[in-house]
Amino acid sequence: MIVENLRVRRGSFVLYVPRLEVGRGECLVVLGPSGAGKTTLLKSLAGLLRVESGRILIDGMDVSRLPPEQRGFAYVPQSYALFPHMKVWDNIAYGLRARGMDRARIEEKVRSVAKVLGIEDLLDRYPHQLSAGQRQRVAIARAIVVEPRVLLLDEPLANIDPSMRSRARNFLRSLLTKLDVAVVYATHSLVDAVSMGDRIAYVVDGKLAFLGNVEQFLSTDYAKPYLEEIEIVAKYLRTRT
Amino acid sequence: MARNLNPFFVANLVISTILVLFILIPLVSLFLYTNPDTLRELFTGYTASEVLNAFETTFKASLLSTLLLLAFGLPLAYTLARHSFPGKKVLESIIDIPFVLPHTVAGVAILTGFGSRSIFGEPLERIGLVVQDSFWGIVAAMMFVSAPVLIDSAKVAFQSIDPELEEVARCLGASPVRVFATITLPLALRGIVAGTILAWARALSEVGAILVVAYYPKTINVLVLEYLNVYGLSYAIALSTILTLVSIALFTALRMVLGGGS
Repeated sequence: MIVENLRVRRGSFVLYVPRLEVGRGECLVVLGPSGAGKTTLLKSLAGLLRVESGRILIDGMDVSRLPPEQRGFAYVPQSYALFPHMKVWDNIAYGLRARGMDRARIEEKVRSVAKVLGIEDLLDRYPHQLSAGQRQRVAIARAIVVEPRVLLLDEPLANIDPSMRSRARNFLRSLLTKLDVAVVYATHSLVDAVSMGDRIAYVVDGKLAFLGNVEQFLSTDYAKPYLEEIEIVAKYLRTRT
Repeated sequence: MARNLNPFFVANLVISTILVLFILIPLVSLFLYTNPDTLRELFTGYTASEVLNAFETTFKASLLSTLLLLAFGLPLAYTLARHSFPGKKVLESIIDIPFVLPHTVAGVAILTGFGSRSIFGEPLERIGLVVQDSFWGIVAAMMFVSAPVLIDSAKVAFQSIDPELEEVARCLGASPVRVFATITLPLALRGIVAGTILAWARALSEVGAILVVAYYPKTINVLVLEYLNVYGLSYAIALSTILTLVSIALFTALRMVLGGGS
């Protein structure tokens, strides 16, 4: 996916991204404080917000004027937005049914993705019967089962209990490395950014202030607000190497 | 228990009891003062066909007005709940006007707008939709007064749904129609059902606008007024008792069926 000169207006707030590229199998982390425009960027890519100007290219084709259902992007919001009146099975099958897939194929794909995410025993439950961690897995299962061209994750760890976050982060990281899909991952946490991302796009006040790898980011002034987290990041990097 | 018996709780209880009695006493009195002979006479004497026709007209017109309101009101309620556009506040105020308008005035307004000598009345008459003293006039009067009840209830029901559910469904490949049918409507159903029941109740109880627009064919409410004037209170009580019983039975059944037994 290539994003060029993307401009989105929401009231007085303007988001402008001159250029972004995410390759298949790559995870680009959009890092920034609350209100920086991370969710606006993700929703614009998904087609949920009208783009004022610019292009969103997928395999060379501009999809910026296509409605969300025709883009092939899967979006997982911070709230997970599981359909509360449907069981986990039906939540995961929703996108497959929308594509008119036959019942046997849906059954096969739902079982398969549930196995990958370790939620096979939750398929008969309703969302309100799940923990935050389980809801996160279901939301990701529902998103990846449709084999999207781009997976958009908005603060997927924010609702996880701090004591469980490290485990959830590790699980998500190992899952994302297995997926052959372009991932855009929005977060305000440097720890999450370092854990998940191949590259960091730092957004502040609606502007793309930095684009590069983790080490480069840590040497910039933008990393200063994250000083508290840097020690944890350093520890993480030591364990990774 | 002792904790509940504080002066504030007792004062609330007394005040609440007064209001509940205020509602209950007239209803119970209807049943207590109903003369069984008058009741029998209503359905066996020369008034029988008139009474039965009035019941039929009332229920058919109220049902039709509610169905029409559902068909036209749900898209409007959804638009108001989900979209911002210039003049939205004005539109919402217009929808709520029937709430504050005296019902006889509503009747005069309907006649002025859709009566045979009005701009819209003439083309409507050409396709058989005569408003003055007709079944369609009753439907129009019922729709007019109960429209805000259904539209406002449905709007609140739609507003209560997290828009992210619809957004995620769109991203998963569902068209706007499919999202509405599989996500929005099922989640808003309870509120819509409640609004529909209230709108039907409002239509069923309408008399002021109907008296002005379409005295004929007589609805049961018009007949209650007529019997009160012509035959006296005894006949009006008997008719009112039947209407009350039928209404309570229907609304209870509807609430149980549509509201999942709750």
